[in-house]
Amino acid sequence: MNAAPLAVAGDGERRALGFLAELSQALAESLDLRETLNMAVTRIADFMQAEAASLFLIDHAGLIECRICVGPVDITGLKLAVGQGVVGRCVADNATQIVRDARNDTRVNARVDAETGFATRSILCAPLSNARGPIGALEVINRRDGGLFEADDAEILRLVAAPAALAIANAQLAYGLVEQQRIKRELELARRMQKSMLPRRRRGDFPIRGVNLPAHEISGDFYDFFDLPDGRLAFVIGDVSGKGLDAAFLMVRVASMLRWVGAHAPAPGAWLAQVNAELCRTVQDGRFVCAAVGQYDRADGKVCLASAGFPPALLHDGSDFEELPADGPPLGILAEADYGEREFALGQRALYLFSDGATDVRTGATDRLGEAGLRGLIARHATLAPEPRLRAVIGDLKRLHLVDDTTLLLLQEPCGTQAHTLLDLEFPAQAAQMRNVRAALRHTLDGQGVAPELRDQLVLAVDEACTNVIRHAYGGECTRRIALHVARERDMLAFELRDQAPAVDPACLKPRDLSECKPGGLGLPFIAATMDDWKLEPAADGRGNLLRMHKRIDFGDHQ
Amino acid sequence: MSDSENACVSEDLGGYVLVRVRGEVDLSWSQRVRDAILASLGRGDAGVELSQVTYIDSSGIAALVEGFQTARGKGKRFGLIAASRQVMAVLQLARLDKVFPLFADVDAARGA
Repeated sequence: MNAAPLAVAGDGERRALGFLAELSQALAESLDLRETLNMAVTRIADFMQAEAASLFLIDHAGLIECRICVGPVDITGLKLAVGQGVVGRCVADNATQIVRDARNDTRVNARVDAETGFATRSILCAPLSNARGPIGALEVINRRDGGLFEADDAEILRLVAAPAALAIANAQLAYGLVEQQRIKRELELARRMQKSMLPRRRRGDFPIRGVNLPAHEISGDFYDFFDLPDGRLAFVIGDVSGKGLDAAFLMVRVASMLRWVGAHAPAPGAWLAQVNAELCRTVQDGRFVCAAVGQYDRADGKVCLASAGFPPALLHDGSDFEELPADGPPLGILAEADYGEREFALGQRALYLFSDGATDVRTGATDRLGEAGLRGLIARHATLAPEPRLRAVIGDLKRLHLVDDTTLLLLQEPCGTQAHTLLDLEFPAQAAQMRNVRAALRHTLDGQGVAPELRDQLVLAVDEACTNVIRHAYGGECTRRIALHVARERDMLAFELRDQAPAVDPACLKPRDLSECKPGGLGLPFIAATMDDWKLEPAADGRGNLLRMHKRIDFGDHQ
Repeated sequence: MSDSENACVSEDLGGYVLVRVRGEVDLSWSQRVRDAILASLGRGDAGVELSQVTYIDSSGIAALVEGFQTARGKGKRFGLIAASRQVMAVLQLARLDKVFPLFADVDAARGA
């Protein structure tokens, strides 16, 4: 009996099932498609006792491409149209093909043999398909014993093709996941690299502070500041048009150019003009960059500033804003653009430079914060020192909906804090204490000339805050302490309430809607309605909670 | 009784109970006010006289809201009488000034 191992019932079937189980497991264990398929095709060739075996997959263009090939002739990369040759017919019909006499079968493409010298005698080809139809084909050529492939061999190959198709689908899925992870990791690296380009925050009384909030992993915004050889400080802020990787790459380039040119301390207008000329030479895809650059001399307090299409800078003296518009078009548009510059004495004023992300912040479904809104935020925190003020403004922006990269640069000489304490009280967490606390607070506020209606409202808000501590933080009256500190800095009253209770999650404090009529939960709405802002945070030493509340008072002439 | 002392006195005017509250209605005192209001509504229609209230906090307001809701549930009349400036300010802050029936004096409340 001629050796026909696969055709033998019983033994052969058992062998085939064992092989299938082994193959399926091997396929399942590997997530690397190429490695998986190579291994699978080699094993299939051995199992089928074939001289050659190939695996074809339909590519994006709809052509059938040989992806894996084992045997004497490598046809990897060979592409066939659906319907072309034995493989093409197999895919087109989604049906196994048997070629017993290759030399006289019209389905067989004789060109490969002619080019390679390989003699194809017999071919088996089974489709690889998933639920949506064929995705490729599995082909074996020439039995090693010189015999012909039989119908039973075709059946075995069809069976073997099923787990292979499944494995390909799985591996493609796994590959997709791995690819996603890789891209995520690379974006994270890009983000970190970008972040590392931003200047380090300088502590002490350094007058420049910047914040960059990317809307996504990577940013098209940047800022920079550095020392010039003559002792002045140089600063830069910019916003590359568009989002995504290409904007981020351009940002890296422009930031380097601005740094490079700026290091030679050119006048700001010339500084922008030089970078603009270079950008116009090299950026052709319609991208442009809005930027503002300047120098600040701490010795004489003079600022020299130039802006290329950047949103107007704001100079704030604590009550009024002065707007400094752009001096020329964005960089990268007009090669011959001229940029003016403006010089002014900073004094105690604050200079704010912000990318349009800061004003594009959404305050509703479609409403933008706008420049007036941003001015409002700045004014609201004007009495804070520069560092906490910038943090407070950024905090407000974050609470709204950021839709674009957002960058803020603040230039201001540090001012000595003018806050002075008005009241310092400590008392046990008992409701009966509150009458005296209210009396003391009333007296304090009267001393500051706060109008009676507002005074009563402030007393109510502080009282509500204290009773919340008693009832909720401490869980009832007890002998543990509450400390109340009231201070004034210019026209801002600051109320601080400390307790030693377990940390309260600030997220669970939400003022309720006052339009409902129900007895409880009015304390927080009273506080929210009275104070300009309030914030509960864990105490710095990790013990207890600290509630800060601020109220700006129009003291008039009554200083 | 000095001006600053808290007091809460119920007076039965024949089918109408007047609860006179004075002083500072805060967390330490509001429970008493609440009990007095709910007890008065057990006897008939009720009004809370607030002209001598110099302070009221959210727990005091809650006592009034509870009285208002209890009265509605029982089909009784309930009103606030001669609310002081301080009480009105807090009612407005809580947007409850349009919710409570407010009366200038007891006669107006009883005649309503």
